[in-house]
Amino acid sequence: MKVYEESGCFDPHSLTDCQELMGLPGATPTNCHNSLEDTLNVSSYNHHHHEDASAALDMEPHQHYLLDNTTNNNSHLIPYLTQDLPYDQSHWESFNVVPSSTSPEAAAAAAAAGAYTPTPDLLGLFHLPRCSFLPNPSISFETTPGSPSVVYDPLFHLNLPPQPPVFRELLQSLPHGYTVPADDKDAAGIGGLYHDGDNGIIQFTRDISMAGRAKDRDKAGKTTKHFATERERRVHLNDKYQALRTMVPSPTKNDRASIVGDAIDYIKELLGTVRELQLLVDKKRCGQDRSKRLKTEDAASAADAGDVEFKSLGDPDQCYNTSLRSSWLQRKSKDSEVDVRIVDDEVTIKLVQRKKINCLLFVSRLLDELQLDLLHVAGGNIGDYYSFLFNTKIYEGSSVYACAIANKLIDVVDRQYAAAPPTSSTSL
Amino acid sequence: MDMEFLTELNELAITDHQRLTGGRMGRRKLEDDDDNNNSKEFKSKNLQAERRRRQKLSDRLLTLRSLVPIITNMNKATIIDDAITYIQELQKTSQVLSEQLLEMEGSSEESVMPMKLEIAVAQHDMKKCGIKEEVKVSNIDGNKFLIKIIVEKKRGCFTQLIEAMNYLGFELSETNVTTFSGAMLFSSCVHGKYGDTLMVEHIEELLSEMMRSMKTSSQSAIELGNTN
Repeated sequence: MKVYEESGCFDPHSLTDCQELMGLPGATPTNCHNSLEDTLNVSSYNHHHHEDASAALDMEPHQHYLLDNTTNNNSHLIPYLTQDLPYDQSHWESFNVVPSSTSPEAAAAAAAAGAYTPTPDLLGLFHLPRCSFLPNPSISFETTPGSPSVVYDPLFHLNLPPQPPVFRELLQSLPHGYTVPADDKDAAGIGGLYHDGDNGIIQFTRDISMAGRAKDRDKAGKTTKHFATERERRVHLNDKYQALRTMVPSPTKNDRASIVGDAIDYIKELLGTVRELQLLVDKKRCGQDRSKRLKTEDAASAADAGDVEFKSLGDPDQCYNTSLRSSWLQRKSKDSEVDVRIVDDEVTIKLVQRKKINCLLFVSRLLDELQLDLLHVAGGNIGDYYSFLFNTKIYEGSSVYACAIANKLIDVVDRQYAAAPPTSSTSL
Repeated sequence: MDMEFLTELNELAITDHQRLTGGRMGRRKLEDDDDNNNSKEFKSKNLQAERRRRQKLSDRLLTLRSLVPIITNMNKATIIDDAITYIQELQKTSQVLSEQLLEMEGSSEESVMPMKLEIAVAQHDMKKCGIKEEVKVSNIDGNKFLIKIIVEKKRGCFTQLIEAMNYLGFELSETNVTTFSGAMLFSSCVHGKYGDTLMVEHIEELLSEMMRSMKTSSQSAIELGNTN
């Protein structure tokens, strides 16, 4: 309510007007019930959290249309809405629209009306049909320069299975045929790409206003891009390259070939890590099953002596998981390089520190923590570098994997650099 | 900006001739060369390099495409998109698996060889080979020493040795550690960070003291562990 007073764009008391304007057919209770049961999966919203005022403004009409107690049609919706609240209210800044009617004609004529969710990981919850919505002059749909521009996903109302995450993170949608009143070019303007650092989700924005209407769809269901200028296409492409660059752990040069090269290496590394982890999980599960079975067999054998033993010989739980684990990882940071190779249960670690800060203590502590048994260490000061080689063995029962070792090691070493006073690097 | 222009050229597949005369690159070169239309060497030197650069990028994009299993369209932009998606998937999978592993580790019933047993084994092995514990320090030059320590191998004893070195204010310039039948040989060339020079005997004494305390502290830890 507070928001409306501020914005003055929507008067909750003139709800019936809004309803007409929105062009929604009079929602009958049964309709609403069915639609809600089928498709409603909404989280709560919070009036008080609207950092992005424009986005909140977008949603006000919907929200209040639905949840306003004064509306007869919708009063029954509230129990449903309050039932399905899996999330804490405080998470939400605005919430997705819940149409009151999903009659087929409405849906067919429907344009997408979506939500701006600042926390995109919850977007997967929404399987909402769309309602038709006509632009109301009293409702403003400005996009401030800070907020991303709108995206139209024409397929969304068909409730398709989730698209690849990149495109699932589509932000706002507009009704069919509606164009953003782009008073300033930049606001509705050039598509940008940014990386949400907190949960690592890339959000792509598209330039709708320049392009106009809904686009053709290719077979995979993604919209094809129509850039007004070649430069925009290049900018968009460059943004994608930068996005790719942010995903790799140790990017090198900033040119396209290196970015792609780093991506290739990282994909190979990830594939290896996944394979290694899968192997470890299988081995562990195997071991657990075997020990469980032995226990039950022990208990059973106390009861009847000979038979169980014969059974256990031909037991299917004989885990023929005798494959050797082998993995190799490299991590580079600004001042150090780590190379981790694991063959079965032996781990070889090579560490090169470009600055003369002695981290041997911290490294050895980390190795103890990781349950690695030191067999051999060699290394020392070579000119400006410190270089070490560790041969270790994994203690029985521990399941460390290469990626974890490398990451933790680089982390520890880099932290030492950060902690060490700057003068020590110059001292000889 | 340069790269952008040239990449766009590649994508538009303009011929060499066009580049020479009307293409953006050609125009730039012409401008640079004082409106000399026949700057062939300048152009060809760069042309080869440019071709190679584009070829390199194109090859790598092809490799990337071959790695990613889910590809939608076959144009340059979508391959990047698909790669990003694929990397995210892989990261998610590896995270899920590692969490699974952690979970299993927590509820694991496998027995880890108890420390006491390890130590007993180590001691036994050492005695068998006749290796004796030892601390030897020799002075090389001024503040530089060569330290050789033979100690019974235990979990974390290397860490303790390094801590001892740090405590004594030594900087390890060259370290070598080997383990053999339950014993650990630590050999290191150190030099004192602090000004005051230490005497060899003094160092030996300190180190022996530390090793003794290490032994007793670990033994008491074992006792505690056993009683728990």
